[in-house]
This record gives sequence, C-alpha cells and structure tokens, in this order.
Amino acid sequence: MSLQSSFIQIFISHIKREFLINFRSLVDVISTISFMILIVILFILGIGPFEEKLRLISNAIFWLGLILAIIPSLEKTLQRDYDNGWLDQTITSPTPMEIILLSKSLAYWLLVIIPLVISLPLFIVLLNINLKLIPWLLISILVGGLSISLIGIIGSALTLGAKRGNILLPILIIPLIIPILIFGVGISEAVIINESPIGNLFLLIGFTLIYLVISPFISAFLVRIAISR
Amino acid sequence: MFDWLANPNRFNRITEKIQPYILLISGITLISGLYFGLFDSPKDYQQGDAVRIMYVHVPSAWLASFLYFTLAISCVFYLVWKHPLADLISSSIAPIGTLFSALTLVTGSLWGKPMWGTWWVWDARLTSMLVLFFFYLGYILLSNAFERKIDGSKTASVLAIVGLINLPIVKFSVDWWHTLHQPASIIKVGGPSIDDKMLLPLILMIFALSFFSLYIIILNVKTKLIEKKCEALLLKSNLEEISTTG
Amino acid sequence: MLYLTDIIINRGSKIVFNNLSAKIENSKVTIISGKNGVGKSTLLRAIAGMIPLEKGIVKNFNNEIFKDKIKWGKNLIYIDTKNGLSQDLTVYENLKTWSEMKGWGTSDDDLQKALDSVDMLNHKNLYVSQCSEGLKKRAALSRLYLSFLFDVKFWLLDEPTNELDKKSIILFNKLIKKFLENKGTVLLACHELKLFDFSYELLNLDLLKK
Repeated sequence: MSLQSSFIQIFISHIKREFLINFRSLVDVISTISFMILIVILFILGIGPFEEKLRLISNAIFWLGLILAIIPSLEKTLQRDYDNGWLDQTITSPTPMEIILLSKSLAYWLLVIIPLVISLPLFIVLLNINLKLIPWLLISILVGGLSISLIGIIGSALTLGAKRGNILLPILIIPLIIPILIFGVGISEAVIINESPIGNLFLLIGFTLIYLVISPFISAFLVRIAISR
Repeated sequence: MFDWLANPNRFNRITEKIQPYILLISGITLISGLYFGLFDSPKDYQQGDAVRIMYVHVPSAWLASFLYFTLAISCVFYLVWKHPLADLISSSIAPIGTLFSALTLVTGSLWGKPMWGTWWVWDARLTSMLVLFFFYLGYILLSNAFERKIDGSKTASVLAIVGLINLPIVKFSVDWWHTLHQPASIIKVGGPSIDDKMLLPLILMIFALSFFSLYIIILNVKTKLIEKKCEALLLKSNLEEISTTG
Repeated sequence: MLYLTDIIINRGSKIVFNNLSAKIENSKVTIISGKNGVGKSTLLRAIAGMIPLEKGIVKNFNNEIFKDKIKWGKNLIYIDTKNGLSQDLTVYENLKTWSEMKGWGTSDDDLQKALDSVDMLNHKNLYVSQCSEGLKKRAALSRLYLSFLFDVKFWLLDEPTNELDKKSIILFNKLIKKFLENKGTVLLACHELKLFDFSYELLNLDLLKK
C-alpha cells in the first residue's frame, strides 16, 4: 500500500499536469509569442515609422500586445478539461475545486509569463523601449500577468458550455482587466518621466491580491454549475 | 423580507396596488422637472442652453449606476436564496440599465459637441459609463448564451456580482488614468457648484426617471411571470397528452 | 449499503426524479436500467456528487455521503462516456496524473499493473489523441485496478462496455469479480445485460418512477 499524498503534493501535481499538456507541443507557446509580435507589427504599420510617435505609445502597445495575445488561449484552459471530462473527475477528488482552479491559474500564469519574459528582449528592440524600464517591466508583467490569469480563469469558467463562448469571452474579460492596463502603463510612464512608479505598482499588486482571494471561489462556483448541467 | 415578497401571487397583488401611484409620481415629477429644467432655470454662464442636457444626462448616469447596483444585489439574492423572482427582477433591470447607460453616452456626446467641438471626449466619467455599458451588455449576452435558461441566469448572475466588485476599481482606475494624462482642465457635466435653481429640476428628473424605470421593471417582471406560467401550463398539457395517448 | 431517500432532481425546469427512493446493496453489482432519457446518467452523476439534489438524502449505511464530500470522493471511482483523459498526454501519463489528483502516491509498478489489468501495457506510451474509442475506454477503466490498492469501495460506471471488444469485456468482468471479493459495490448504467457473467441486482428506473 502506497502513501496518501499531502495537500501540497496534489497542488503541485496539478501544476505539473498543466505543464505536461501545454509544453508537450510548443505550438501554444510559439503562437502566443508570434501573436504578440504580429500585434506590435500591426500597430507600427498603423501609426507609421515615426520614432517620436513610437516612443510616446510604445508602452501602451506593449501592454495591449500582452493582453491581446493572452486572451485567445484563455478559453482553452478550462474548456478542454470540461469537454474531455477531467473536471468531472476532479470533483470526486480529495482536493476542493477552489484549490484545483487556483493551481490551474498559477500554472497558466507560468505558462504565459515564461514565453513573454523570454521574448522581452525582442520587444525592447522592436519598440525602442527605454532600458531603465526593464526591471519595472519585468515586475509589472509578473504581477499583471497573475491578475490576468486569475481573471481569465473566471472568464473561462463563465463561458464553459456557452454557445459562441470564444467570442463572448473577450467581451466579458476586457472590461474586467482595464485597471491592469492602466496601472501597468502607469508604472512605465512614471519611470520614463523620472517619477516613482511605486504608487502604480502598489495599485496593481492590490488589484491582483483582490483577485487572488476571490477568483478561486468564483470560478469554482461557476465550474460546479457547469458540471451539474 | 425578500422571502415574503418573493411569492409571485403576493408580488402581483402588491404591485397591482402601487403601480398607479408609481406612474402618477413619475408623471408629475417628469412634467414639473421638464418645465423647471427647460423654462425656469438659468443658462449656464459658460455652457448656455446646452446645460439643459444635464437634466437628462445626470439622472440617466445616476440611474445606470444605481440600476447596476440593484441588479447585482438581486443576483446575490438569486444565487444565495435561489429565488426565481430575483432572477426575473435582475433580467428585467438589465435592458433598462443598458438603455440608461446608452442614453448617458448619447446625451454626453450631444453635450460634448457644442462644448468641446467633438462628439466624444475621453472624459473619465464618460469612459467609466462606457465600461458600465459593456458590463450590462456582457450580462445580457451571457444570460442568453446557454441552452437552458437557468444556466444562463446563474452564470450571468455571477458575472454581475464580479462586476459589482470590479466596477468601483475600474471607476477609480479610469479617474486615476485621467488625472495622470490630463490634469483637470475639462469642465465636467454638472460640475461641483450648481445653482439652486438648477438643483431642483435635477432632483425632480432623478425622481421622475427612477419611478418610471421602477414602473417599467415591475411591468417587465409581471410579463415574465406570465410567460413562465404559460410555459408551465404548456409543459403540463404536453405531459397529459403523452400520458393519455401513450 | 446505499440508501436513496425521497430524491428530487431538477434539470432546468424539468423534473427528472420526483421522490425517488431506492436501496443499493453492498458488495454487489446493481445495474441501472431503463429506456433512453429516463435519467440513468443523471442518477449516477447525482450520487457521485456532480448534480446537486433538490431534496432528499443519500446515505452509506448511516453516513450522509454529501456531508463529507472529500471522504466520499476518496471512496469512489466514477467513469462515464467522457472518460476524463487529456488528448495531449499518453495513456500512462493520464493514469499517473489521475492517481495524483486522487491523492494517491502510486509507484510506477502499481501503474504498470493497473494498465496490465486491462491489457493496455503495450499501448502505455500512446497519446490519447491517437487512441481508438475502445483503447480510450480501456485506458479509463485501468483506474479501477487502483481501487484494490487504495481502499475504494464504490464504482459508479456509466456505459462502461459501449466501446469494448470481447476480450476487454472478459477483462472487465474479471475486474468486477475481484472488486466484489474485496467487498466493493458497483453501480452500473448499461443497456447490454448479456455481457456480464456475474450476478447482479436490477434497478429499473422505468418501474421506480411510475
């Protein structure tokens, strides 16, 4: 007879599973990065190759690229496991659904963050981003990315089993993540004009903490509704 | 309290009695509010007659926010105590709230043209109202996105509650964004100092539109109750048909 | 012994069960039968804890099972037509992640044996996306073997034999017999009653609902 594993081990095993599924084929990772690059290209083609203009809005483009690149992959996070019955299986497990969904959003965070951090140098070059911004960008991507994935899991749970869920998801999600964009861009702009970005950073962290607390409960509630269909 | 009101028959009986009064109050305040607003209030020294748009714009904005709040509270009642009537109430509020937020945006834009020379300015309040409009829209879309009505109601209720938590943050962040980018220079609709003569029609109009929307919401809920009854009857007659023939 | 008392289950505005009561014997196989749409799967899902009961209680002897969902979750294996396998993992990885999800520290050896019990050892490194429906079903059923190691007492199976060939059905019968020896209780929704070579109780929902 083998041993019963502890709570934390189960938590980690859920994250490991997400990694196995998503990093098996690098398609998702590569497409997220490529999507973001393409969004940046579209923007630059739209505004023209003017250095000064670009410098003014490069932060905004970066954040928009980040948010838009994440959204298409959000829908799959829960939908796939809902369709194949894995979520049904997890309901009959010793771990509460809240913990499972928290582990899912943390795994999703890592999955999105790692490729974006890797590709950060590329965006710095493409968008002429000021070098003194790099540490702040890193922090704000880490924190902002966490809140996007926490909100994303709510959106993903909201559209579970919905008709045209893939179109609906961005409509539901984007109004919710407006503060992330504002605080995130605020951090970069404060650094550029040599002011302290701490205020914006704290606001971003505070926002993330709120969702860190409520997101698992809300999404678990939604998943239970979806499973009971 | 809610439990007591949630009985459909009692709801029908009570609303039957108060409905005419609601309509009466709404009519009186609307007429007097419009009179005071359009004829018996001063022009603004900067804005001229355009300021009169405020008497529609501000009450609509107030109602759009207030109705979202009631919608979300009613969703809490629906999810926690599972009262079907609470769902009917929130789904009756949603279209009206959407209309008022749209009205706010349109009047804001109409007011902006003479004031700013453009139909749209990214003013903090208008931007927040635009976001609120999309919360309403999301609620309506999501509640109709499922095969079965009840799934849509439950899921959309959760969205409404998330919105209730998120909207103040959005409001705050948009204000924050606005002060960051444009130090306050724009004159806001219904700014801080208002003439007493302007305050009276404003309050009257708020009452008028509130009571009017209350009236419409009650009508909406009643229609939905009847619809539900019809569905139940239809289902029952179908069942009887099956049991008698099969 | 599972006692279902006065169960009411609604799906949307439709009432599926109105005051259903039934008894499911311990250490026996009970087959839920009835015509399509009578609510066989709904009943199984309700007992597994996925569909909330409008009213009524389910007791395992004297314990209300939904009072301690975690304990109940450890005590049962539920398999339905959806299988719960991730397309992007291999058969072996699926079983491993599943047992970790249940909180069981299974060794590699245990997992190999489990796969062997449904003759899936040869296919253990096959991706589920490449499996035929029959192989998928067998991969899902390999979980049943783990219940002998971790003291699971209930199997709730929804149409487990649908995709299986003759040889796999023999293996499935074997698993069930072994489970019965271990004092396990099986609740099974199925159309084809001829496939089984063990004795079973019948729970006919058509009759019960009348």
